[in-house]
Amino acid sequence: MGIRLKILAGFVILATMLLIAGLISIHELMNIGNYVQKLLDDNYKSIEATGTMLEALEREDSGILLLLMGNWEDGRKVIKEGDDLFKKGFLSAESNLTIPNEDKYVEKVSLDYDIYMKTWERPIVGTDKEGNFDWYYNKSHLAFLQVKKSVKQLMEINQETMYKTGSELKNRAQRAVMPGIVAIIGAVVFTALFSFFINHYFIRPLVQLTKGIEEYNSTGKELTIASETSDEMGRLINSIKNLLHRLTYK
Amino acid sequence: MRIHVISRYVGLVLLFNAIFLFLSFLVSVFNSDAAVYPLLYSFLITLLFGIFPLIFVPKTDFISKEEGFFIVILAWLIICFFGILPFILWGGEFTFTNAWFESVSGYTTTGSSILTNIEVLPKGLLFWRSATHFIGGVGIIVFAMVVLPNLGHARFVLLRSELSPLAGSNFKFQTRKVLHILLYVYGGLTLAETIFLHIFGMSLFDALLHSFATIATGGFSTRNLSIAYYNSPAIETVIIIFMILSGMHFGLLFATITGLSFNIFKSSVVKYYVFAMMAGIIMVAANLYIKGFYSLPDSIRFSAFQVISLGTSTGFANADSANWTGFARMILIFFTLQCACAGSTSGGIKVDRIIIFIKSIKNQVLMLRHPRGVFTIKIDNNLIEDEIIRNALVFIVLYVLIVFLSALVLASFGVDSTTAISASAATMGNVGPGFGEVSSMANFSTIPDAGKWLLTANMLLGRLEIYGFISLFMLKTWR
Repeated sequence: MGIRLKILAGFVILATMLLIAGLISIHELMNIGNYVQKLLDDNYKSIEATGTMLEALEREDSGILLLLMGNWEDGRKVIKEGDDLFKKGFLSAESNLTIPNEDKYVEKVSLDYDIYMKTWERPIVGTDKEGNFDWYYNKSHLAFLQVKKSVKQLMEINQETMYKTGSELKNRAQRAVMPGIVAIIGAVVFTALFSFFINHYFIRPLVQLTKGIEEYNSTGKELTIASETSDEMGRLINSIKNLLHRLTYK
Repeated sequence: MRIHVISRYVGLVLLFNAIFLFLSFLVSVFNSDAAVYPLLYSFLITLLFGIFPLIFVPKTDFISKEEGFFIVILAWLIICFFGILPFILWGGEFTFTNAWFESVSGYTTTGSSILTNIEVLPKGLLFWRSATHFIGGVGIIVFAMVVLPNLGHARFVLLRSELSPLAGSNFKFQTRKVLHILLYVYGGLTLAETIFLHIFGMSLFDALLHSFATIATGGFSTRNLSIAYYNSPAIETVIIIFMILSGMHFGLLFATITGLSFNIFKSSVVKYYVFAMMAGIIMVAANLYIKGFYSLPDSIRFSAFQVISLGTSTGFANADSANWTGFARMILIFFTLQCACAGSTSGGIKVDRIIIFIKSIKNQVLMLRHPRGVFTIKIDNNLIEDEIIRNALVFIVLYVLIVFLSALVLASFGVDSTTAISASAATMGNVGPGFGEVSSMANFSTIPDAGKWLLTANMLLGRLEIYGFISLFMLKTWR
């Protein structure tokens, strides 16, 4: 291989190392962007939906207490608002199933909510349920706690997945940064190696050759440099040695 | 010392590593896992660094003994550094120190791990982790030599630098043949074990990776519970057989397979190796049974696996020996120090040196009775030279001293004494697990970072048989 190709190979390798590191970093950074979006789309939306459902449930529970106290108008109004809010949250959670088995958790919420709904769908004011706190604690409140528990479970699996995605983001960030660090260290080591080879195979022989020719001019002593390679430098050394040899014995 | 020539040979070793990185990359692509880019980039960097010296440095047939030594030691250190690339690029539990620990542990076939959860690693990375065992098993240099044509004297020098000094004298073949023997035996055993493990229920992937670890006497498993995960006496039996075989001199194994007269059945070293392990198994099993740990069959099953695993410096586990009795653990520590035969992939003091040590004691006693007597040491009718005897004895003393000193330093980092001593002995002998916090079912994640660096130095010292590593720091005396 000629000198030109050798030097070119050195620069090509250096450039390749940096280029690939750059490409991988860009790819990983784009992935980070996707992951952040995924984090927001998949998990944050579901967590927000479960939060809405929990708030709605609390309102409905307050509405039931108002009905228990005989306040029909305010009670129905608060329950209606709570029910609308719950359905809004539920629809959001139902349309955002991204975790394995999440559909089962959503289904459980739906079933428990149906049971809970039955406790306040029928009239309370003006019936034997009015002022009946035993009924409230043994029926309505238990159903309320059950549906709340199911919503919390849905929230927890989304939080867990969000944490995992967050940890994955940390890894992705490392994967984006590390190729750059490796490329920088690699480039420094490679440059040192490259300059060592340039010095050993090109500069040192040139210096020795120059000294040898100067010595020949002043003392007539023949060149004693050995050529290690068969490239242009090796051929140059051999040619000059032959030339000086011929000049000596002319 | 010709640095450019050394760089060429180290480059060749890096190219050999690049092949395995590429295979790991393919595994990753096939499984569409998260290690694709880390492995691809590691492969390219290793490839570029491996190719570059070949472009500049012309081929040379002659390398001096010093250069040979330097190539071997430098190659070990450099591949360990390149081996960390997939780990640090992937992230997870791999900080720089952890990646270095895992890489050195893999190449030196130690099998100690810092991972608290191995099963979350992508398959490509698991393959690479086990491939480091495979590469390190016979030795990078030996592999590189096999694939390099026409190296002549250079090949001889590198081989002698790589092989254990004791093993070299046991190979009664030409250099070229020694290389082929190593490759045939190594490859053959790996293939055979993979087939058997697969037949007995392991997935092909797990079977291959466990075979890499067994034949290299490494110990990296793809499961957090190591071999205990499979809970299969059949799989354990297969691994036991291949661990015993991998702990024997490869030349003798080759001689046995090819029907030569001097084989494993006639070697007194092998006889001692097998006898010592049998005795160890019986003592541990009896102790565990009497103390009520397990039923008799289970006592035999667990003690056989654990004694052979540590006695061959493999480090697999089918039970948590950390809770066993002090007596059982002391026997296991003895095997952690002794390990298997020279000429195998095993680490530790090695059976050959223990035999020399025992015979030297016997001679010393005889000398007391007959002060003017001349006593020699013979193994299999071969007279052992005084220099080899002296080296073996100094080696044992130095070995135990280093184990003790590194345990002392570990203890100064706040590590408890059981963990410190066993971790030090297990890494020095390239065994893998110790006791305490680093027991067979635990890992080295709790060891402080400085301790991890110390233990990796132990692994390299053990792998390069102390003298090789020390020689690196005595370059001036070579001139």
